[in-house]
Amino acid sequence: MKIRRYDEMNGLGLDLIREIGSIGTGNSATALSSMLGKSVRMTVPDVQILGYNEAIQFLGDPEEIVAAVLVKMTGEINGLMLFILKLDFINEVLSSVMHKEIEDYYQLNVLETSALEEIGNIIISSYVNAMSTLSEVTINLSVPDIAVNMLGGILSVPMVEFGYQTDKMMMISGQFVIGGKVLHSDLLMMPDIESLNFLMEKLGITNG
Amino acid sequence: MDKQITVGIADMKFARQEGTLITYALGSCIGISLYDPMIKLGALVHIMLPEVYGTGDGNAFKYADTALTETFRKIEIMGARKPRLVAKIAGGAKMFELQGNSTLGNIGARNIVSVKQILKNSGVRLAAEDVGENYARTMSVDITTGAVKIRTYGRAEIVL
Repeated sequence: MKIRRYDEMNGLGLDLIREIGSIGTGNSATALSSMLGKSVRMTVPDVQILGYNEAIQFLGDPEEIVAAVLVKMTGEINGLMLFILKLDFINEVLSSVMHKEIEDYYQLNVLETSALEEIGNIIISSYVNAMSTLSEVTINLSVPDIAVNMLGGILSVPMVEFGYQTDKMMMISGQFVIGGKVLHSDLLMMPDIESLNFLMEKLGITNG
Repeated sequence: MDKQITVGIADMKFARQEGTLITYALGSCIGISLYDPMIKLGALVHIMLPEVYGTGDGNAFKYADTALTETFRKIEIMGARKPRLVAKIAGGAKMFELQGNSTLGNIGARNIVSVKQILKNSGVRLAAEDVGENYARTMSVDITTGAVKIRTYGRAEIVL
């Protein structure tokens, strides 16, 4: 049976997403570690399917400023990936790569912004690679874009993009431990419903 | 303290005489303030998409067309009249720019066109707007005066 909404996924479907999340988090910890030159550990990620208003509440305050990197997936899987970077994570990255810290998002210059965009891109690619390797599907990724703005406005992008398909968002949250510091990480993984069905079919998961 | 009512995503609230209606961080969504100065009634709608397809999914306030129809119906019961209504809109931003993906983010622009068209067809005057660009907006309506305030990141607050 095909699903029509994220929250119709059964336990096996969710296990699949969790597995993609685990492999992706592992991959991104490795990539991040070589980029920052520090040891990076990760916790087992949590997969959550939330409504829009819930998702914003879970992530913070709608007016809270965050940086977010967006990449579009096309090919056998279509959808969006959005990685959210908050100040503590940003500073960990900037201090390792550029020996600098900021107190406010205002202080990010063009070079630093593009460094963060690249980090976001690497993390997103790690998850997408996990998805494509696990299921042997071809996924193309767009050039990333970064926005620094209100959380609510940023989340409206995937919400609206899939507004005709689903009222839910799928989120992979976990913690990176970088040089002893625990940093929260949130990734929105939003394949469209048709792609999600294709992915589950490919892996022999039947729903219902 | 002034009573403040929060309007969620794909939601609508209205109030009379006093208080404030507020909706946070409109990205590509649009906030529509409808105010009848004679009876001091104000409504704030937060829509996500330009129009409903088929029968929709039961949430009228998600789509510009069904949201406005439903809002007009509700506030007209309360005594508001379309010829007196003053509309102010905000939102419809394009938060991300992805190369070679012109469709993504265009929903903001489509929302703006759709909302304006519906207001025009309904005979409701659009008095002010703060739309487009690439940033989110928090919109609030003062029910006593009908004044709409727009708060953004890194820019001064404006009053519509």
